[in-house]
Amino acid sequence: MNRIVITLFAVILMTSCTRVEDLNTDPNRATSVTPDLILTNLQTEAFSNVSLSAALASRYLTFTDGVNQYQYYSWQRSDFSDYDNLKQAQKMIEEAAKNENEVYQILGDFFKAYFTVELTQTFGDIPFEEALQADAGNLTPSYDDQEDVYLAVLDMLKDTSLALAANDEPINGDVVFYGDRLKWQKLINSYSLRVLIGLSNQEGSSSINIRERFNEIVNNPAQFPVMESNADNAALEYANIQDNRYPLFNNNSLQTAYYMEKSFVERLQNLEDPRLFVMADKKPNAENAADGDFSAYGGLYGSAELSVNSAEAVSGEASRINPRFYSNPINEPSVLMSYAELQFILAEAAARNWVTIDANEAYEAGISASMEFYGITELGGYLDNDAIALTADNAIERILTQKHIAMFLNTGWQIFYEQRRTGFPEFNTDGGGVLNGGRIPKRWMYPESERVNNAENLEQAINRQFSNGDTVNGEMWLLK
Amino acid sequence: MRQIFTSCLLLLSYLSFGQNVIKGTVTDATERAPLVGVTVAIEGTNTGAVTNIDGEYTIEASDEQTLVFSFIGFKTVSKEVGNQRIINVAMQEDVQQLGEVVVTALGIEKETKALGYAVQEVDGESLEKAKEPNFVNSLSGRVAGLQIKNSTDLFQNPEINLRGSTPLLVIDGIPDRTLDIWKVNSDDIESISVLKGATASALYGSVGRNGAIMITTKKAKEGKLNVSINNSTMFQPSFIRVPEVQTSYGNGNFGVYAYTNGSGSGTEGGGWIWGPKLDQRDPSTPSGFVETTQYNSPVDPATGELIPIPFVSRGKDNIQNFFQNGLIQSNNVSVGWGNDVASIRTSISNMYQKGIVPNTDLENVSFNMGASIKPSDRLTINSTITYNKQFTDNFPEVGYGPTNYLYNLILWTGTDVDVRDLRDYWREGQEGFQQKHFNISYYNNPYFQAYEYKRSYNKNNVYGNAAFEFKLTDELTAKGRTGVNTYGLHRTYKEPKSYIGYGSKSLGNYSLSQTNYFDINSELGLKYEKSFTPDFALRGEAAYVNYFRNTTSSSLATDGLNIPGFYNISNNAGATLFGDNREEQEAINSFYAFLDVEIYNSFYVSLTGRTDKVSTLPVENNSFFYPSASGSVVVSNLVDLPNWMSFLKARGSWSRVSEGKIGNDPYNHILAYEKGVSWNGVPSAYFGNSLLSSDLKPETTDTWEVGLDLRFLKNRLNFDVAYYEALDYNNLIYSPISETTGYESILLNGDQYKRKGIEVMFSATPVSTPDFEWNAMINLSQYRRYQEDIYGDREQTDDLIKEGERTDRIYADVYQTNADGDVIFENGMPVSDPYRRYIGYDEPDLTYGITNNVRYKNFQLSFLFDGRIGGLMFSQTNQKMWWGGTSPGTVNQYREDAVNGESTYIGDGVVVTGGEVTYDVNGNILEDTRTFAPNETPVNYIGFMQTTSNYHNKNYHYYKETFIKLREVTLTYNFSESLLKRLPFNGLSVAFVGRNLWLASKIPNVDPDSGTDALQAPSTRNIGFNINAKF
Repeated sequence: MNRIVITLFAVILMTSCTRVEDLNTDPNRATSVTPDLILTNLQTEAFSNVSLSAALASRYLTFTDGVNQYQYYSWQRSDFSDYDNLKQAQKMIEEAAKNENEVYQILGDFFKAYFTVELTQTFGDIPFEEALQADAGNLTPSYDDQEDVYLAVLDMLKDTSLALAANDEPINGDVVFYGDRLKWQKLINSYSLRVLIGLSNQEGSSSINIRERFNEIVNNPAQFPVMESNADNAALEYANIQDNRYPLFNNNSLQTAYYMEKSFVERLQNLEDPRLFVMADKKPNAENAADGDFSAYGGLYGSAELSVNSAEAVSGEASRINPRFYSNPINEPSVLMSYAELQFILAEAAARNWVTIDANEAYEAGISASMEFYGITELGGYLDNDAIALTADNAIERILTQKHIAMFLNTGWQIFYEQRRTGFPEFNTDGGGVLNGGRIPKRWMYPESERVNNAENLEQAINRQFSNGDTVNGEMWLLK
Repeated sequence: MRQIFTSCLLLLSYLSFGQNVIKGTVTDATERAPLVGVTVAIEGTNTGAVTNIDGEYTIEASDEQTLVFSFIGFKTVSKEVGNQRIINVAMQEDVQQLGEVVVTALGIEKETKALGYAVQEVDGESLEKAKEPNFVNSLSGRVAGLQIKNSTDLFQNPEINLRGSTPLLVIDGIPDRTLDIWKVNSDDIESISVLKGATASALYGSVGRNGAIMITTKKAKEGKLNVSINNSTMFQPSFIRVPEVQTSYGNGNFGVYAYTNGSGSGTEGGGWIWGPKLDQRDPSTPSGFVETTQYNSPVDPATGELIPIPFVSRGKDNIQNFFQNGLIQSNNVSVGWGNDVASIRTSISNMYQKGIVPNTDLENVSFNMGASIKPSDRLTINSTITYNKQFTDNFPEVGYGPTNYLYNLILWTGTDVDVRDLRDYWREGQEGFQQKHFNISYYNNPYFQAYEYKRSYNKNNVYGNAAFEFKLTDELTAKGRTGVNTYGLHRTYKEPKSYIGYGSKSLGNYSLSQTNYFDINSELGLKYEKSFTPDFALRGEAAYVNYFRNTTSSSLATDGLNIPGFYNISNNAGATLFGDNREEQEAINSFYAFLDVEIYNSFYVSLTGRTDKVSTLPVENNSFFYPSASGSVVVSNLVDLPNWMSFLKARGSWSRVSEGKIGNDPYNHILAYEKGVSWNGVPSAYFGNSLLSSDLKPETTDTWEVGLDLRFLKNRLNFDVAYYEALDYNNLIYSPISETTGYESILLNGDQYKRKGIEVMFSATPVSTPDFEWNAMINLSQYRRYQEDIYGDREQTDDLIKEGERTDRIYADVYQTNADGDVIFENGMPVSDPYRRYIGYDEPDLTYGITNNVRYKNFQLSFLFDGRIGGLMFSQTNQKMWWGGTSPGTVNQYREDAVNGESTYIGDGVVVTGGEVTYDVNGNILEDTRTFAPNETPVNYIGFMQTTSNYHNKNYHYYKETFIKLREVTLTYNFSESLLKRLPFNGLSVAFVGRNLWLASKIPNVDPDSGTDALQAPSTRNIGFNINAKF
């Protein structure tokens, strides 16, 4: 009897011995990674710039499944998810520092500058100096003036550019430039020019010395190389692999609820711009028209009432987007910044007399580059069109109009910011459907989470910027 | 039948032979007072009498018969008549009966009067007849404080809330942390004990923090061989709730519809049901009805164009035509035998459920064996083992979206489409590549979905335990128990080409996943039990427990399929396969002890303590201790109470339970990188959104509870009430922080919640005679949770809850209103409010269940109503019906005008005519100079509904959850013993049963039972029968 009991005891004892301390490592995740892994992730975030919302707000497309807040300018809040991207950049810097690797720290600073600008363009003042310091215990960062943020970012970009020029470590995990250091330098310098032109309203009044900084880059191509052709485009190529496909591939709404915007279609028709054929599909009523027939295209007026637009769509008078956007898994790359944009920046700077280069030359180079991007190499007499050629009076408007065409469903919200800054091209609000009192919003309200988690600092930032509180119509520093 | 008749005749002739009048008085043996309402029956017959107010009775009986005196709370007395003509009886109070025994934590049986906390028991018999696919659904309404939110979908877990949290499932003393409620067949359940509070289940430690549902399986009884057969068949012939859609307007947009290719723009619309009016006469067409091109239009061979066909409501009966009658069939055979040395019971169960969706079903098979050996007086060994298989080739996917059957059948399909025309689901000439449907951008053909999009589930459970008790001395016993839960789960997902997911069209896919689970729970301990004097008894146990779990899982998926319909990983069309795997290990080492003291049979005190050492917290803080104390006083034993009050007990308890686990992932206390998306073969990584506090501690709940157990009129009327409060502190929370820190939250110990609740049980036996007995029971409960403290300096949580407020406040996205509550419009459309506003509470005010059992002779009728009162639920079904155009409320003149291209709808509200409003960061108005005028802008009704879903007129589609349901009716006929003597049975019963029979609710179109609505399946009425035979 006792033998049985002892055996039972022994069996249970044997099955009951585990040291809990032995189970304190996670077999599913890594606690430390090499920085190149983070670089790949950062690139896929920063270079994912295909946004239907931006396309609606920028009058490229319209939407008929209900009153859309972007098309009718009734949006309210945006979010702070770019702070997560900023943290990834910070983590890349940390992991690189552990390995005493410099190049990923330099690239990390570029991404920090990039996401910071994305944030401040959206909201106005944002936490910068005190941001990303959770490890040091600062959980309620104060907000910095937009001007100070820009000053810091521009300094950072310059340092980054110089540091990268002096570095010779290999860049792995790079799915955009595949380790080509010169292309990185060109992006950083070209991007600096974008940031500077974005401050055109503050030229002369700011402590930033916008014009000097702009000239410093443009006049020293050896030290500050910029993009020289479409081959230098900062763009992410899609691949026919799950999660790597063009984000609108197989998208159903794009086929049934999105239509081209009328003012955009008409502009392309008036300019006899061949890019219309690669952007839009023929309207149902002209399905059988010959290729290259500009009249076979139509659109819905962005600001018109929903019911008016829907009726027009139902009647077959509106073009859908070109089928390649939803049927080609690779379609076109997503652009962070293109050579064409750089040329338009230079043209605008020249038109503003910031630099001494030929505005027209840059303008035409920009148009040609954009045409090339869309596979159009024969421009014919396009540049000779009177409606296209620059004159002293309409230079800014025409440059921005061409920039708008070149950024169709690409480069994120950039063209919206350009239009916000310059007023060109005009985004229609006269169609009777527009909300927000017929105004185009100038910004986004801060996220609700911030009111819960950082209320005091948020309130200070709002009060010092906007007399009417946190609204979408408030005017931030760079627009003043 | 003839046999029954003959036996009745025999019985009658037997009864009428030699009858004498017998009289007598029945008294209470201790109090010597007459007993009213005592049943006096003649054994083996249906004849009987009841004592009057003086305790007297009169009955006719023959000399050889026996009188049986029975009364609740007293021992039954049998007297042979013989030659007596006056039979007086003094009945003894039945201490055993008053001291009902319930199973408490660790399977320890205790008398209810000794309990200092709330335990409610449900007899396995009440689950035997009216079958549900799992035993938990059957508990609905039966236990106060246990809220079961039943799902209407096939093979979906109900939401189980015991005092607001999910309890632990314990099977024969072994915790099942996977909470697999499908692996226990209800025919094998002897009883279910619900341990309601943390104190009741404190001995289970952390996992028992939210109470426990304890299952005791059936064991063989001593005596002869017992064979039992139970068959239950339930049909699902009709629905008690299904969305009702309008049938006046068909597919299309703005009143226009013409099919082009199923994914076209303009005339086909984006899949809206805002099309033209159906069934309109048009003398100019061949059919006499308005005609348009449709997906099943014939093609003109000359032009290749589609030929218009009549636009009529031929799909009015799509629901009836598509869904089939469901079936739940369950069979169980068990054999038990035992003597004083050994006993064994084995059973085989099979449950088959045919879904209402074609080609869906569920098989559930169990083999169960339980044995007990007693080699000597000192040693007892018990063991059970169960093999359970849950298997289906296909069961429906749930949730809103194109994977949902109702979505494709009525919510987003106008009645111009007849589902019967869709039975051949491939588009001609494109078999395997393109499904046939009226819209191939957004919706799936329901038959295509049922027969081609298949999700299989194959789970093999093996679980069991072995336990022994060895008496070292009369007082001291050594105990040991090991229990194991294991399962292997294999799942496959077959997605045909052209299948529509949200926003995309499938390239065809196949994926499979495999999970292997193992856990073991071992205990070794000593038990001490001694009654020092009749008035003083002690019982105590101390034990060491070890728990270890190991789970591995992996999955593999294709990136598109090459050959359509060939579901194998090797058929991958993409460049790479997608795979994933996980490993988890977890352990807890514990030591626990308890001590029960019993004084004067009236005072009971119980103390427990437990120490856990866990692997799921940082090593510095991984060990912690927590105690509990409970007690009860049987007042009725100590004080002289009025005669009508038979029993009074007061109880109270306090406990502290800590838990050291953060969510389900045992490694959440470790910061690490996550795998990111690979880009064209280049891997990536990113860092998560949460930081960790450097000194994570276990989280703790302190609970106190008081209760009263009152019984009146010799236990004919019983009343039990429990009130509890629990404070949850040191909660392991992801405390939100400013995103500008780079993180959304920090995992730390913080925030405090207070939970409060009251549970009332009321039971009565209004009638009790030999022929007729009526028992009724009512369960009521209410539960509330408050935000007691918010971590840090924040004034509100991210759900906008402030300190002291209920945590179930709902803040919703709403439209702006002025001070009078009028909705503000601009251009005829309501203006969104950038600040979320409070609109009501989520939790019901009352959860209730009412059970009635009526027995008349051999017939037994029981019925159960249950439901909830108060609380809000968001209804996606109702919102989408207004949005998409299927709600019957959309059939009105405005719609008709919109179809004709006219804008006539003027929303009820105001417009701002001037002035400004400014808000603070919380959306409170600082300054408001706005002036208002009534909204006068007419808009197109269809465009308005497509934008607003009628939100502001329907409380933003938050509906009152209030409902009452006739949950169950069973009518049983038990064959009487005299009949059974002539049959080869020891027991035989036949029952007609119905479940989910009737519903009344505030919310339209959905069954609020499940508490959430993401387009649930129709709620079925289940009707069937049960046959139970014992040999």
